[in-house]
Amino acid sequence: MILNSSLQSTLQAAANRIIPADDYPNAWEGGVGFYLERQFATDLSRSVPAYEAGLAALEAEARIHFDAPFVTLLEAQQDELLRRVEAGEVQTEWSVPPRRFFAMLVQHVAEGYYCDPMNLGNVGLRSWQMVGFVPRCD
Amino acid sequence: MKTYDAVIVGAGAGGGIVAGVLAEAGHKVLLLERGPNLRYEDVGRDHLRSQRLSLYGHNAGPHIEGNPRVVVGADGQEHQVRPHQGGYNNNAACVGGGTRVYGAQAWRFMPQDFRMASLYGVPEGSSLADWPLSYDDLEPFYEQAEWELGCSGDAGAMVFHGPRRRGYPMPPLPETRKTVPLKRGAQALGWKTHPIPVLINSQPYDGRGACVGCNNCVGYACPTEAKNGTQNTLIPRALSTGNCELISEAMTERIETDARGNVTGVTYLIEENGALRREMVRSKVVVVSAGAIESARLLLNSSSNKHPHGLGNEHDQVGRNLQGHYYSGARAIIEEEIYDGIGPGITISTTQFNHGNAGVIGGAMLADDFLKPPIDFWHTSLPPDVPRWGSEGKRWMRDYYHRTLYVAGPVQEIPNPDGRVQVAPHVRDKFGIPVARLSGTTHAATLDVAEFMRERAEEWLRASGGTKIWSARHTLRLSGGQHQAGTCRMGDDPRTSVTDRFGRVHAHDNLFVADGSLHVTNGGFNPVLTIMALAFRSGQHIAQALS
Repeated sequence: MILNSSLQSTLQAAANRIIPADDYPNAWEGGVGFYLERQFATDLSRSVPAYEAGLAALEAEARIHFDAPFVTLLEAQQDELLRRVEAGEVQTEWSVPPRRFFAMLVQHVAEGYYCDPMNLGNVGLRSWQMVGFVPRCD
Repeated sequence: MKTYDAVIVGAGAGGGIVAGVLAEAGHKVLLLERGPNLRYEDVGRDHLRSQRLSLYGHNAGPHIEGNPRVVVGADGQEHQVRPHQGGYNNNAACVGGGTRVYGAQAWRFMPQDFRMASLYGVPEGSSLADWPLSYDDLEPFYEQAEWELGCSGDAGAMVFHGPRRRGYPMPPLPETRKTVPLKRGAQALGWKTHPIPVLINSQPYDGRGACVGCNNCVGYACPTEAKNGTQNTLIPRALSTGNCELISEAMTERIETDARGNVTGVTYLIEENGALRREMVRSKVVVVSAGAIESARLLLNSSSNKHPHGLGNEHDQVGRNLQGHYYSGARAIIEEEIYDGIGPGITISTTQFNHGNAGVIGGAMLADDFLKPPIDFWHTSLPPDVPRWGSEGKRWMRDYYHRTLYVAGPVQEIPNPDGRVQVAPHVRDKFGIPVARLSGTTHAATLDVAEFMRERAEEWLRASGGTKIWSARHTLRLSGGQHQAGTCRMGDDPRTSVTDRFGRVHAHDNLFVADGSLHVTNGGFNPVLTIMALAFRSGQHIAQALS
C-alpha cells in the first residue's frame, strides 16, 4: 500500500460515494483500489503527494463539519462534504486546490471502474455488463 | 557507405506506398521508420493508452519519454508537452504509421476541395489557395489506392462526389442497428446518405480476412488483418521484391547535402545497448514522409551553409499552414434500441454539406462514430448537466451508454500561415535532435464552418428521434493531430509553396515530400486516401525519373 492505512480508508470511502453500490458494485468492489494501487506506483506516482494532501484535507473537513472521521460519516454527510470540495467551499487550509483534487479523484475512480481489466480495475467486467459493452474477439 | 536509389523517411501512409511503387519498379530502397514494427499483441487492447484515448501513453508510439514537443499556448508562453498530452498533436510512430491503428475511412476529396480559393475567395489573413492539380489529375490514383489496398463502399450512392471510372472492389460494411434512426432522420430532412468508404475488407481480399465487427477498431490494430494499412499491403509487397530494406526504430537525424547544396543521402540514429549508433547512407533520391509535423521538422533541421534556414525553406514556407480537422458535431439520446455492439460503428454519412453552404467556406462530411470503450465514452460523451459522480452519474452510464448517438465530421480548415511548425533549438529529444515547436492557430473563419456543421448535426439528430441533444462550440486553436497536413504545400510558385505538383521540393532535383504535408487544403474528409493517392502518383513519377 502506498498511502498510509488511514488515508487509504478515506480514499476507499470517498471512491465509494463517487461510484456507489446499486445493482452493480461500488467503486472499491469494482476494482478501483487495485487500479489505483498500481497507478500510484507507476503513471500516477507524481500525483501521490497531491492525493495525500487532498485526502488529509478531506479528513480535516470531516472533523470540522461533523467532528468525526470521514469513514464513519453517514453517506449523506459524506456526499455533502464531497459536494463542498467539488465546489471549492472548504473551511480548512488545503495545500492542493480542492476543486482540482476532486476532479482528479473522480476521473481516476472512473478509470478504475470502467477500464479494461488489464489495468486491474473493472473486476469481473461488472461495469461493462452494467452498460452493455461486450468485448468481441479479445 | 551504403548506397540506395531512394531513402524514404517514414513508413506511414505516404512512405509505405512510395516504397512499394519504387521497389516494384526495380529500384533499391531504404525505408527508415523511427517507430517499431508492432505485432497485434504489441498494440494490445489497453483502453487507457491508445491512439484514441491516451491518458497515460500510446499503444503505437511515440514513447512518452524522450520525445517532447514545444507548444506555444494562447498566453504566448512555451510549454513542453509529451506525446500523450493535449497540444502535442500526435500521430502514431510505427511501421504503417497512423494506418496501423486508424479507423480507415477512405474518402476521396471532392473536385471543389482542390479549388477552394477560386470558389470562395481568400479571407483576410488566410493562405487559402488552389491546389496545383485537379481532382481529375488525382482520380486514377485514388482508384489505385482503393484497389491496391482494398476499399469497401457504395460508390453509386456518393452522388456529391466527383466522377470515377471504377467503383469499389468490395461492397460496404453492413449497416447496424444505429443506422436505422439516422437513415430515417436524413430521409425526413431530404438529405442523401450513404455508407462510409473504408479501407476495411467487407469480404476476404488479397489474402487477408474480412472484418469480424469487433468493437476496438479505431485506435487499435485489427485482429483479422481486415483493416488495410501500408504495414499489411504495400510495405510487405516492397519487401517481397528483395529491393527494399526496412529499418525500424531508426531516427533520421538530417538530410545530407554536398557543398553545392545537392541532396546526397541521410544520417540516421539507432539506439543500441544504451548508446547511439550513427549511420550515413547515400541515395539518388530522398523522400520525406514523416507526417506534417515531423517532415517539416526534418527539413528545418537539415540546414547547411547552402541552406541556412533548412531545406526547401528559402521563402520561409516550410512548416507553415499546419492544419488538421476540428471535429464538429452533436450527441443525442435515442429512446429506441440502437446498440448491437457490432463494430467498427461507422455506418452512415452525408456529404450534403461539404460545399454550397451559404455564408461559410466549404463544410464537412457528417457521419456516425466508432463504438467507444466505456471509459472513452465517460471521458468524451457525457452531457454537461449530468453529474460525473454519485448514483445519478453511474445510473446515466448504465441507461445511456448504449442509447447515445454521435454524429460529427471533419471541418475543412481555413489555413493560416501563422499556424506553424518550427524547431525549438533549446529542447532536444532523446537523440539530441531539436524538437518541433508548434504555434499559432487555424484561421478564425474555420469557426464559422464548425458552427454551421454543429447546427446540421443537431438537426440530423433531432430528425432521427433524439430526445436530448447536446454539443459544444469550438474555440480557436491550432489543429493537427492524426489528420495533420499542409506544412510543405504543393504549388507552382516557390514563394508560396514548398514543393511542385509531384511533391518535389522546389530548387531540388532529388528531394521529395510524400505525406499530408503536401495538402494545400485538407478537405472536409479524413485525409488518408488523398495522402495515398498522391504517394502513388509521386512514386510513379520518381520511379520514372530514376529509370
